[in-house]
Amino acid sequence: MSGKRMLLSAIALVAILGTACGPTPTPAMKEVTLTAWTIGPDEPSYYRRDNLIAAGEALNKELAAEKATVRVKVEATFDTGAWGDFKQKFFLAAQAGTAPDIILSGHEDVAPWSDAGFILDLSDHIKKYWDKTYKDVIPGLWKSVEYKGKRWAIPQDTEARPMYFSKTLLKKLGWSDADIAALPDKIKKGEFTLYDMLTVAKEAQDKGVVAKGYGYWSRPRKGGDFYSVYFAFGGEMQDPATGKLVVGKDALLKHFKFHYDTVFTFKTTPEGFIGKEWKDWHETVSKGDKVLFWNGGTWHWAEWTTKYLAGNEQHLWDNVGFALFPAGEKGKKPVTLSHPLVYMVTKSSKNPELAFRLLTLATTPELNTKHAVNSGHLAILTTQITYPEYAKAKFLQQTAYMPEFAGYQPNHADYGPYDTILWTALSAVMGGETTPEKAVDTVVKDLTAELKDKVVIQ
Amino acid sequence: MNRHNPGGEGRAVALPSPVVRERALVRLRDLASPVFFLGPAGLAVVVFFLVPVLLTLWIGLTDMSVATISNIRFVGVENYVRMLTARYTPRILQNTFFYVFTTLGLFNVGMGLAIALLTTHIGERAGTLFRTLWLLPRITPSVIYALLWTWATADAPFGIFNQLLSPLGVTSQNWLSTQPWAIVIAANGFVGASFSMIIFTSAIKAIPQDYIVAAKVDGASTWQIICRITVPMIRWPIMFVTAYQTLSLLTSFEYILLLTDGGPGFYRTEVWALHAFHRALSNYFGNVQFGYGAALAAVLVVIGIIASVAYLRIFRFGQMVAEPKIEVR
Repeated sequence: MSGKRMLLSAIALVAILGTACGPTPTPAMKEVTLTAWTIGPDEPSYYRRDNLIAAGEALNKELAAEKATVRVKVEATFDTGAWGDFKQKFFLAAQAGTAPDIILSGHEDVAPWSDAGFILDLSDHIKKYWDKTYKDVIPGLWKSVEYKGKRWAIPQDTEARPMYFSKTLLKKLGWSDADIAALPDKIKKGEFTLYDMLTVAKEAQDKGVVAKGYGYWSRPRKGGDFYSVYFAFGGEMQDPATGKLVVGKDALLKHFKFHYDTVFTFKTTPEGFIGKEWKDWHETVSKGDKVLFWNGGTWHWAEWTTKYLAGNEQHLWDNVGFALFPAGEKGKKPVTLSHPLVYMVTKSSKNPELAFRLLTLATTPELNTKHAVNSGHLAILTTQITYPEYAKAKFLQQTAYMPEFAGYQPNHADYGPYDTILWTALSAVMGGETTPEKAVDTVVKDLTAELKDKVVIQ
Repeated sequence: MNRHNPGGEGRAVALPSPVVRERALVRLRDLASPVFFLGPAGLAVVVFFLVPVLLTLWIGLTDMSVATISNIRFVGVENYVRMLTARYTPRILQNTFFYVFTTLGLFNVGMGLAIALLTTHIGERAGTLFRTLWLLPRITPSVIYALLWTWATADAPFGIFNQLLSPLGVTSQNWLSTQPWAIVIAANGFVGASFSMIIFTSAIKAIPQDYIVAAKVDGASTWQIICRITVPMIRWPIMFVTAYQTLSLLTSFEYILLLTDGGPGFYRTEVWALHAFHRALSNYFGNVQFGYGAALAAVLVVIGIIASVAYLRIFRFGQMVAEPKIEVR
């Protein structure tokens, strides 16, 4: 045997012995993919997806520190399509057992989806991480994820739906800077009502400050915002004691009458308004120079800045003001509608524990503030309020008081049909197809026929 | 007693005679061809039509919804009773017939026939070009096509309709909200007309020129030729298009969904198929009612079957599908 061959043999022998006698080999690392579906539909809300991806990195660090043999890979999507299509996609997938591990949706889906067995009860998990994370969640928000005594979701964000107004057009109408600056406070105190608003809007039209039908604009399509008017007249949607759905005939009549009046009596909203394209609506209101009062969401502020004003937020500060939704009548309170979005862990998840830990790590002042500041949504954690980035966000600070006045849509499995009946009647009233009085009768009959004893008519 | 083995002893089973075997083979061969050729299609019909219909009928007898999916109850005909007593059932039924027959009469048959007649009476090149252009809506994806209509009918200053009509003194409006049926029917109709246009054009071109020439020699006008020769000679294609498009329109709702979603107001443009979709598959806030939606869909199947039988009788399909004079094996 030559020397070279002997050397190679010796090296091979040492290598074999080294392998056989060395430390126990590390077990194979397993990578688990966690899937999540999120939605805006407003484009600046993409941190609903990105925060989960960031939390995935944090979770992997935790797992490494725990010497766990598993790592996660987060595959999250962000949808900017319609809510209805997004929800339809989810429940078809959930039925087929192919839903993602995590789904983000409106809090009102907690009731039907938990009844259907699509999502998991997170109560025990929340308790487990209470001190570390969840005691920081603003207490009022837990109500939005509770159903049948359990907590089914983690709040992701919340928002308010202000009444926006054009400072520029109010000035043209003769209002002083002081009058304009005082308006939000007058609304907050209940001194400026919905009909005061229509009166001012009509005056602006009559004086040619705004075009006919541009005095007041609601949202152009179906959505929860319309219920702000119902709440402003003292309406309630759910009995807190029994959990049953409720409709108050008096508030409902005033809700319909207000929308009828803005189209046909004051003519401050154009006929055929419902069904207008969102894009056209944003184009019209976002500059603050065409419509006097309009109702939108806090997230629209960010959307107008980025999509319609090329990042020029100052334009909004110069031309647009915001306040609560005025009280329906003197003596009633101003309102806003809040619609917390929530993360849920689905029953299709093969790794629910990891999915929940991912949500826990996505619930931090840093990540939630990134989303809030970028998209115009409000804080869900108490520590966010003083978090430097949040504290610097002028718009969020100035709207921070609004959730105190917020009404919520109910967590009830039959809220869908309830909402459809109320919306159909409202759109018929605004379309001139029926009168407010007849619409109330129709709603009462339809609700009674459809939901029987699940709804209480007051 | 075995007639091929009268004695019965010696063999327990007698073999069939060659003649019987021959007959059995012929019978088997006769059966094999239809099974071979119709089997796959038959299987597809069973799997994709019969089974879904049976499933739909079954689901329609339950209270299945998102909320009850883990605990489905059999409710008998409750969904059908609810449908009969529902306040909007007559309106939705009326909408359905209005939509189907107006679209059919004005566009899917009427306009298709008009285009076919016009383009076969002008130069070949111009006719072909015009028909090709008319096919554009059909080859445009539905969502984009519907979006174009939405943008075109938007209120001022966005929609082109208002930009064109305002100088004529027409008040600017959101046409989809103020005239929903007109827009829905036109949007559907322009697509539907292209189908019949192709069928009718090929049928018109297949008419032997001798008839036309003879009529012209006899001094018939173009209108008389159309009324007395062309239309009678393409009555079978007209009948086919009418029957096929009726059934197609009964179940189609994508443009209504994309344009008006059945609104505005109290179901102004909601048709039966869209109503079934809304109940069974789509809800803005949560719970959808598969059971009730399936019952609605089952009624649509029944309406479709009744319409098919009615068309078969009215248009005498039997006469069109004539018996073959010879049998080829």
